Amino acid sequence: MDKFRHQLRKEVKIWHAEGLIDDSVYEQLKARYQLDALEKAASDRFVAVLLGLGGILIGLGAIAFVAANWQAWSREIRVLLLLSLFVGVNAGGFYLWRTPAGNAIAGTQTWRQRLGQSLLLLGALILGANLGLMSQMFHLSGSVYELFLVWGLGVTVMAYSLQMTALGVMAVILMAIAYWSGVGELFRPGEPTVLRILLEHFPLVMAQFVVLAYWCQSKGIFGLAAIALIPALSFNTALLPALGLTAAVKSSLAVVLPPFLLWGYDDLNFPKVTGRMFQPLARTLALVFLSLVFYSCAFNWFWLAVPGSSGDSQTAFNQILVIDIVIFGMIALWEWVQLAKPSRKRLRRWRLDQTSSALGGLLIVTAGVFLWHINVYPIPTLATFLFNVQLFLLGAGLIRVGLAKGLRGCFWWGMILLILQIMSRMLEYNTALLLKSFVFVLCGAGAIAAGLWFERHFSRKGFAQEDEA
Amino acid sequence: MSLEFEQSNPNPETQPLEPPIPELQPVSSTPSKSRFPSWRLWLPLGLQSLLILSVPAQAIYTHLTGRVVILQTAPVDPYDFLRGYYQTLSYDISQWETLEKLPGWKELVDQPLAENFSYPPSGTRFYVILEQPKAEGKNQQQPQAWKPVGISRDRPENLQPNQVALRGKSQYLQVEYGLENYYMPEDQITQVNEDISRAQIDLDQPFVVEVKVDSTGRAVPISLWVDRRNYRF
Repeated sequence: MDKFRHQLRKEVKIWHAEGLIDDSVYEQLKARYQLDALEKAASDRFVAVLLGLGGILIGLGAIAFVAANWQAWSREIRVLLLLSLFVGVNAGGFYLWRTPAGNAIAGTQTWRQRLGQSLLLLGALILGANLGLMSQMFHLSGSVYELFLVWGLGVTVMAYSLQMTALGVMAVILMAIAYWSGVGELFRPGEPTVLRILLEHFPLVMAQFVVLAYWCQSKGIFGLAAIALIPALSFNTALLPALGLTAAVKSSLAVVLPPFLLWGYDDLNFPKVTGRMFQPLARTLALVFLSLVFYSCAFNWFWLAVPGSSGDSQTAFNQILVIDIVIFGMIALWEWVQLAKPSRKRLRRWRLDQTSSALGGLLIVTAGVFLWHINVYPIPTLATFLFNVQLFLLGAGLIRVGLAKGLRGCFWWGMILLILQIMSRMLEYNTALLLKSFVFVLCGAGAIAAGLWFERHFSRKGFAQEDEA
Repeated sequence: MSLEFEQSNPNPETQPLEPPIPELQPVSSTPSKSRFPSWRLWLPLGLQSLLILSVPAQAIYTHLTGRVVILQTAPVDPYDFLRGYYQTLSYDISQWETLEKLPGWKELVDQPLAENFSYPPSGTRFYVILEQPKAEGKNQQQPQAWKPVGISRDRPENLQPNQVALRGKSQYLQVEYGLENYYMPEDQITQVNEDISRAQIDLDQPFVVEVKVDSTGRAVPISLWVDRRNYRF
């Protein structure tokens, strides 16, 4: 921008001298692009660079000084120093970030705002460092997950208050680290501390990030939160004891509940939301989850490894987990009722659209196979066969949708699923080398042919739709 | 790659894909003074500071109100000492063999427990009663370790003036008192470790730990006494 202004100033002078523009236009241009302020801006920037350099040097000096004296100072001084650093960085960041954009071009961030935002992020990092150092200074022996959980909660509060996407993303990542480093604790009895209860109900805790995602208008927060929440929900549901639920019910719920939730997700179910901001993302994630499940369940060893009609060891310590399952189950049910509800288009008729009904069918078969295999009678061969059929249907369905709507990603995804399925079956069952080579070649040729056809077919129509997507 | 499935949704009132509503406009690009009054920093910052201070709150309480107790350490595999920046400490009373001999052990194990398992199940809380040694020689430079004299599931009510109850927890065949970590600066860890190894080989100069125990039985480590030298970090 500045380069352009410099050039413009030179040109405008020439135009004025040559008489191309008169005085009034000359003044107007000068006022519009603030050409007289260019020198001042340059000198301002020079001062800023000097200040920044000086600041970094002073900071380094301060760090060295603190490091040299750290052991000599008493614990009180150390705590005071850590806290004032924490507050100072955050406050500095906030007031820099908040400065009005002034005469800068609307929509761009000034260097002050960028610096302020970086300082606020640094402040969030210092929060973690402070938490860790406090526990170290007092020789506490707490779990790692507790540190990350407290840290993540702290950053979440700040992200809500400042409506800042970067902080929200950081909070989601911290929470995910907390869950995966602490999930082992859930398998052993322990006192129900606040942090442990939060860990037990991690999926519910993560669900609030959906609100933050709307608040910050950030697909990143939504996607990351879903990626953190869904595996945790599956994992908790499948492996932790829950009141009155058998292993069969739990494993089928673990497989089926996440895609039901994600596919049924509709932004418009929320009050005050008018655009479908996250639904495409949620549905994509549902399909990714289903692809992974179908692909793994299509292996025969998967069903041989899943114990048929296993006995449940019901322990008393975390039966409360059933609350999570009930809440998420109700949400999923409600979402699907909303999908099927009579609408203005089809008055007084309860109906799901084609894609959703196909997907619902696949999910019901999935749940049924799991229930039957674990609860009634082990059917490893039939289950393997059924899941291969389901995987094929999913791949073919994706290709069909991709073709019908001209969605390149969708088409290729289905293609890759089908090829992966054929390859995996080839390698899983010991087939003759000659047949293997034949199938490989066939797969390759088919993929190339279909791909070329798809690309040509739609290049004629143009990818206008895809550009929108 | 982006997949759009919104066309398959049947709700027609939802068809117009409008831009986000005004009240949820992205603001991070152009924050302004009016949108972000100061409380929007100070409120969460205050909460975060409370979180930071809540970490050592219990330890500070124990420090202020607790009573100094000396604990005898148990010999540790020297290769197991160093874990990052802290020393892993194990005490005489961290070993089941010591606790088994104490009065009250039978009651602790007799209560609801899996069969053919001779230790309390993981997560069991108990209190170890420690007694101050009687003859504390004045010329001794290193304090004498307190002796364990009893164990019980509930906090003992009527303790002698020279006794304290230390809260412990059984955790996966191990005993935990919250005294297992002692952080120290990197440059001194090697020296301290060498001292400890020497002290443990020569049992006459034992390695004891000074801790503070409060009225609820919680404890914090204060300093290490190795070979008549005191390390406090």
